Amino acid sequence: MVSLARKNLLHDRLRFFITVAGVAFAVTLVLVQVGLFMGLLDKATVTIRNASADLWITSRNTPNVDFAHTFPETAVLRARSVAGVERAGNLIVAFVNIQLPSGATEGSLVYALDDFSGWNLPWKVTAGSADDLKRGYNLLMDRSAALRYGPFRVGEYRELQGRRFRIVGATEEAASFTTTPIVFMDYRNAQELQEQLRASTTYVLVKVAPGAEVARVKAELQRRLPYNDVFTREEWAERSRNYWIASTGLGMSMGVTVFLGILVGIVIVAQTLYTSAVEHVKEFGTVKAIGGSNLDIYRILGEQAVIAAVIGFVLGAAISYAVRPAMAHIHLNVLLSPSFTAAVFAGTVLMCLGAALFSFRRVAGIDPALVFRT
Amino acid sequence: MSAKVLSVKDVKKVFEEGRQRVEVLKGITMDVAAGEVVALEGPSGSGKTTLLSIVGCILTPTSGELEVGGRTVRASDADGLREVRRRSIGFVFQQYNLFPALTALENVEYSLNVRGVEGGAAHAEARRALERVGLGDRLHFLPRDLSGGQKQRVAIARALAGAPPVVLADEPTANLDTAVGGQILDLFRELAKDEGKGLLVVTHDPKVRRIADRVVGIRDGRLAEAA
Repeated sequence: MVSLARKNLLHDRLRFFITVAGVAFAVTLVLVQVGLFMGLLDKATVTIRNASADLWITSRNTPNVDFAHTFPETAVLRARSVAGVERAGNLIVAFVNIQLPSGATEGSLVYALDDFSGWNLPWKVTAGSADDLKRGYNLLMDRSAALRYGPFRVGEYRELQGRRFRIVGATEEAASFTTTPIVFMDYRNAQELQEQLRASTTYVLVKVAPGAEVARVKAELQRRLPYNDVFTREEWAERSRNYWIASTGLGMSMGVTVFLGILVGIVIVAQTLYTSAVEHVKEFGTVKAIGGSNLDIYRILGEQAVIAAVIGFVLGAAISYAVRPAMAHIHLNVLLSPSFTAAVFAGTVLMCLGAALFSFRRVAGIDPALVFRT
Repeated sequence: MSAKVLSVKDVKKVFEEGRQRVEVLKGITMDVAAGEVVALEGPSGSGKTTLLSIVGCILTPTSGELEVGGRTVRASDADGLREVRRRSIGFVFQQYNLFPALTALENVEYSLNVRGVEGGAAHAEARRALERVGLGDRLHFLPRDLSGGQKQRVAIARALAGAPPVVLADEPTANLDTAVGGQILDLFRELAKDEGKGLLVVTHDPKVRRIADRVVGIRDGRLAEAA
């Protein structure tokens, strides 16, 4: 079968290039922007996903894992007394000032607990050991901190809230949504840093016993701790994510970016296809004169739209995937899952077919009698 | 006598232009038989193109009857009109109307695809049709690389592919020089006779008379057998 659609598209190479470039631009915009956003959201829940807790007990109305509020640390004892709880432990998450060698003061996000390996926090130690955290005023600093604090080495000291801590190791992948670097330290050391942390915690992590029903344990914990909230790991991750999406306007901003990307794509594809349709009016008239229907012509325009969509998508996706290492180098994670990429592909095809609809109206009215006009 | 492949009976066409009624065809009756070449002559505005559009099932008559390839054409049935064009009529246009992005072979093959012939069968038939018009060595040339006469030969091959019983030609020699125009007309006659097509040629070109079995004149919307 001769493809008039493909031949016409390739015959006018400049227009074809502009169409494909337009689609590729829209695809790149959507993939990179949303990928960056997903990467940021991934950071918002990275500690929740990696900690081995099944349930998180928080103070009432805590919006996300970074913005924690304190409550009495004795809550952990009540949690341990609930049937179905295998173990429970306190976790402090708190913003603490850190003094840099340059004299500047920066913020750091402290994660402090007693049993590091028991809760899988930190989950990726690349230098030193979490066991050393209990041997004095020590801390583990995430590698990503170098971007904010400047380079650091194991064995160096940093001052947190006026107290000197030794860097005994480094972690990877522990990053927060706010980009504040994460440091890990012993629970008691963290309590000494801030007055409000004395005899207080910000979370209680709960591991449910094998065979126990998570929902039932959660309900019982909630009953025993009426002034706290209890979330499953998934609920807590979703709450943390939703906070950044809904409460900060970032979700809306991302939505606008995606909308603009799609709009740019539609305008470019619609404009080029429409111009092409107008310039090929006599050819379409000939198609009708020799017995072709409007459907045959719609098929030509539809095929052109799909070709532009597929090639534009491949180009845009290739660019988006290619920039990932460069972005990762500056600690920006462009998270592109196969399902999201597939969704963008489907959206691109739909976008281009939608843009082709503008031309359908124009060609539907073509009078085949124009073939007799000179 | 050969069978009729085209029959027009008392066809009238009225155009409404604002409040004005313009009667362009005032009761045309004519037949074209298989293998017959009929030249339709007339001055500008006489109704030639309107008649060609009606017998080509592109335009519907205001009244009258039309039969193409033995099928009665119903003016109210748009899909039926398209089907008649697809199955029973081949067109040759003054401006050739080839698809610029398609090679000679693809131009003919595409028209076969529209007519429902696909794949290897369409390819082989398109090749045969082009060899028949003497373009076997130009199969893969784009229209821009062909001369006017060669383009018109491709158009003729396209019109004949799919074996429609009727071929309608609109000023087929208007854009060709005398020698090439003569060759095209000879080819037309040869194909019409060999393949039994009914050929209706609308023309201003007096040379068409040389190949026509019959010359019909049209003036002010009425037919008159020309000398």
